[in-house]
Amino acid sequence: MKRVIRTGVIVLLTTLALLWVKNEYARLLPVSAYGMQAAIRKKKIDNLFIGLSMFRQGLSIDVLEEELPGVSYILSYNGNQPVFMAMELQYMLEEGLEVENLYIDLYPYMAAATPWISDTKILLDTDLDFKMETWKLLSADGEATPLDFYEMFVTANNEQLLTWPVNNRLISSQFRNGGTLLVSSGQTAEYLDSLELLGSRDGLNDVQIDGYREIMELADAYGMNLYFLETPKYVRMYEDADYRELYEACVGAVRDLAAQTETEVKWIFAEDLDFDNTDPSCYQDLIHLSTEGRTVYTRRLCEAVAANQD
Amino acid sequence: MGILFLFKYFDFFRASIAAFLIWAGLPADSLTLSIALPVGISYYTFKMISYAVDIYTGKRGAEPHAGYYLVYVLFFPQILAGPIERSESFLGQIRGGLHYDSALFAEGLQRLVLGLFKKMLIANRLSSYVDTVFASPDSYPALAALMALVFYSFQLYCDFSGYSDIVIGMGNLLGIRSRKNFNCPYFARNIKDFWARWHISLSSWLKDYVYIPLGGNRVSKERKVLNVMFTFLASGLWHGNTWNFLVWGGIHGVWNNLNRKRECSDCGVLRMVWQTLLTFLGVTATWVFFRAESIGKAFAYYRRMLFGFSLSLADIQNSILPFTSDNTCAAYFLTVCLFLFLLLLYEWGQVYGRGKLRAGEGAYAEGFSLSNFWLALMAASIVLFGMFGESGFLYAQF
Repeated sequence: MKRVIRTGVIVLLTTLALLWVKNEYARLLPVSAYGMQAAIRKKKIDNLFIGLSMFRQGLSIDVLEEELPGVSYILSYNGNQPVFMAMELQYMLEEGLEVENLYIDLYPYMAAATPWISDTKILLDTDLDFKMETWKLLSADGEATPLDFYEMFVTANNEQLLTWPVNNRLISSQFRNGGTLLVSSGQTAEYLDSLELLGSRDGLNDVQIDGYREIMELADAYGMNLYFLETPKYVRMYEDADYRELYEACVGAVRDLAAQTETEVKWIFAEDLDFDNTDPSCYQDLIHLSTEGRTVYTRRLCEAVAANQD
Repeated sequence: MGILFLFKYFDFFRASIAAFLIWAGLPADSLTLSIALPVGISYYTFKMISYAVDIYTGKRGAEPHAGYYLVYVLFFPQILAGPIERSESFLGQIRGGLHYDSALFAEGLQRLVLGLFKKMLIANRLSSYVDTVFASPDSYPALAALMALVFYSFQLYCDFSGYSDIVIGMGNLLGIRSRKNFNCPYFARNIKDFWARWHISLSSWLKDYVYIPLGGNRVSKERKVLNVMFTFLASGLWHGNTWNFLVWGGIHGVWNNLNRKRECSDCGVLRMVWQTLLTFLGVTATWVFFRAESIGKAFAYYRRMLFGFSLSLADIQNSILPFTSDNTCAAYFLTVCLFLFLLLLYEWGQVYGRGKLRAGEGAYAEGFSLSNFWLALMAASIVLFGMFGESGFLYAQF
């Protein structure tokens, strides 16, 4: 019995130590080709895109590097939300990253979402303080449970860490400067028409709108040119009243913030670009572009950026 | 048995008879009962039968204390999915009075660690992959179908033996020693050896209360073949009230009847490995009938596995992707393979290596323990990699 208890105590102490090391220092492992740490190591980025999976699938790093001057980088996490985009930006800037042009994903469903982490890669790229701030946000509305705490601080990313030498190399080969190199084929109109729309939400989330405010304040403080843009969605999304209502509310709220903070903001809306959002071959689903769509959209985007800068 | 038949088998037999009558052009009624199955009915019914038969055959006397009898039948750790405990030893322990035993308590804690390791690190991790591929095998490469079947083999074993370890461990904590239910079955070198190691409480119950009363092997050769077939068909039917379980039981009956050769105890390593691998592959192949929802779906699954098999990079990627459906799938796949390797290494030690000493003596595995290394490794893995609250226990459905 004593042996069992002694072993249990040793295991507990060892795992606590490992967890502290993981949560604080896992970010210092050899970098992958995507995420915050890879961006920080660049020290200076001329065009930094921060967003969700729609940025990862919707922006072609090949075209960006071809068309835009300087270094381009796409920072995307699944389900990334404005409040966390602001935290990510602040974290990178405080680590010494210089950014000239900042492009932020304006996906309205995330502006209406309760703060939540969908992609635990964010936790792998940051230190313990960042995680504690994140937990405060997640637990503020009382929805987060002890199991969520356990998953966030104890079990998150352990599979990736355990298999790091193999796994990191595998995944990094799929990215360059945060942009995906994987080929995604388009769909048929029948398939896209069969997909369910995303429905309505109960208005915008105040914490997320504050996230946009913080992004504007950081842009001002660090002298960045700030762009808000939204990757094109399949035509059914724009025909959906719920999406249109949320989108207009989100754009309106961000415009108001820009006026309040007196921040110079540039807007690049998908509907203003020469992009055919009725062509199903440009889409993997209702909100993510295919490789073909990504290439076309990114070219149009770069043209608009160049026109804005003239 | 009547109650078990009513709850579990009435609709199956009625539907089967109705299908036959319709095929023969005769009228068939549409009566169905569709009664919710009481939890654990298959397990405690068999406990009650063994108790009654033991009294009838004079093996034991009736238990005068109704409370002790109820504790035996409804012992809470065992009620969901066994083990199917025998009355003799269990009631003897209850009558002797339960008291704290630090050595048994320590055994129980170690059993819990082993059980949680199997359930939370392996069974839970494999379940969503297996469910995804089995639900729609034609959507995945043949390699994925094969992987899902092998993983199901381990998922089923780790889920059920993990559950058994947890139950036995909980009993130990309460001062009760229970029969071991598994003994490293995937290290069996032939099918008879497998059934001596897998779900021991059920296979020994079927031997004592079905096979031996039918005459066992003290009858003519032909009669013995029938006895074996009947016992395994009964096992199939016990597991599920559909024809695919009967087919599964029938296959094992035929295989047991065909297995005559006694395996040599001084075989070379290669021969032992070959026998073990062959037995594992054969048992795994039969699990298709166990997992599929019908015989037709089982054959469709075999077709998916065997035709169009390739090891192209695209097929390998698409076979690993169902683990998480995103770029963490490779890490997840490698992690579960690592834990499977650790489990096999631990069990190899129990069967062939120094771990034999810690495996415990006899049917009740007295003296079971984990070495410091395995205790620490399994406990740390449970904390750092355990998947909580993912799914129930597979054998509870039987």
